[in-house]
Amino acid sequence: MDVLNVEYMVGLIPILLGYLPLTLQLAGTGMVLALILACLFAVVRVLRIPVLNQLTIVFISFFRGTPLLVQLFLFYYGLPQLVSALTVIDGITATIMGLTMHFSAYMAESIRAAIVGVDRSQTEAALSIGMTNGQMMRRIVLPQATRVALPTLMNYFIDMIKATSLAFTLGVTELMGATQKEAAGSFLYFEAFIVAAVIYWIVVEMLSKLQHYLEIRLNKAYSR
Amino acid sequence: MKTLLINMLLMISLVASAPLLAQEDPLKVGMSGQYFPFTFVEQDKLKGFDVDVMKAIGKELGREIQFETANFSGLMGMLESGRIDTVANQITITEERKKAYIFSEPYVYDGAQVVTKEGNTEIQGVEDLKGKTVAVNLGSNFAELLRELPYSDQIDIKTYESNLERDTALGRVDAFVMDRVSASQIIKEKPLPLELAGPTFSQITNAYPFRDTEAGRELRDQVNEALAALRDKGELKTISEKWFGTDITRP
Repeated sequence: MDVLNVEYMVGLIPILLGYLPLTLQLAGTGMVLALILACLFAVVRVLRIPVLNQLTIVFISFFRGTPLLVQLFLFYYGLPQLVSALTVIDGITATIMGLTMHFSAYMAESIRAAIVGVDRSQTEAALSIGMTNGQMMRRIVLPQATRVALPTLMNYFIDMIKATSLAFTLGVTELMGATQKEAAGSFLYFEAFIVAAVIYWIVVEMLSKLQHYLEIRLNKAYSR
Repeated sequence: MKTLLINMLLMISLVASAPLLAQEDPLKVGMSGQYFPFTFVEQDKLKGFDVDVMKAIGKELGREIQFETANFSGLMGMLESGRIDTVANQITITEERKKAYIFSEPYVYDGAQVVTKEGNTEIQGVEDLKGKTVAVNLGSNFAELLRELPYSDQIDIKTYESNLERDTALGRVDAFVMDRVSASQIIKEKPLPLELAGPTFSQITNAYPFRDTEAGRELRDQVNEALAALRDKGELKTISEKWFGTDITRP
């Protein structure tokens, strides 16, 4: 019984791949929304906009300070208990909400760090030739900050892809959920989970390649 | 012109009947998809005893059944928050659960069973679990049954989301407790070195839980009627024999 059932594994590949689009959809949507939210938070924090700044600090503190699974349970099971109409939040929506808020909290901080990290002389130079604050941000600060933030943001995206594996607890059958159910039917846990692991791994590897390519492009101005 | 009129009449009748059709929403049934042979997946197909019984009930009610799978720990929350109408996952009727939900008539009668790794001579039944580590499924009722034992403080109970059969076979825990029916089925059909240890130690009855609301009570009554009809027709017995070779739907 301890021989790997290769035939089963091969048969499982197309089945599990069928659930990959949903996994990527969860992470992709979550990433786009989280990026938008994180940029807003970062700007609020850098410019220290009163009230919003304090609210953002509390938001980031909460969503960084509690486990993602707890947040998912709160969105999915907790909210409808308070307001029954919120049952319309389905598992997919709740997962995307959770991923967005959780990861935007982390990403806001690394985007803020990247913005603050742009040398003071750069902003002074921009202002001295008459650029407005907005122009300075768009033309001088953000392009440089993007280059600095890219590797950590990619890191969060990779983490987010793997975090989608929690969604089955909310009834969303993504890659991990499908694997768990198949494993329960066959009792071939090692075979099933190794197939899932390799699929996750290949996806993340492809993203690392993309990250490498983007880094080269963004570094062009700095290479001599 | 004539066809246009007929088309319009058809459309009107469709619109008029829409509220009636809305009544025929599919019945949403939650299950883990991870409890062989009651609910599991093979080649992307949801199968099992609970799937078959629920489909038969759906046919009896004339309603479509929509299965929603989620980790067991999430199922009761989904029922509570109105995302599913009931759970078909061998939910055992307990005093605790009766406070929160209303139950249909039982459709499975079973007993709690100790299972050990093959060749374990030390554990011959529930009384030998003293000082041992015992696995149970998270959210299942077997942890409660173990805690009711007079020597429960000497049992190290470990809860699992899934995979407890494998961990017992690996020797990470000394035994697991599950219902006799699925334990025997796992031993018979799956390549794990496990064996039943002694007789069952507690009678359990499993049924469908519903929310304790007007709609929930109505649905429970309908399901009870369907169950009774299936029982009379011998269909429950047929489904049970297909999966277990014996009738587990009677006490």
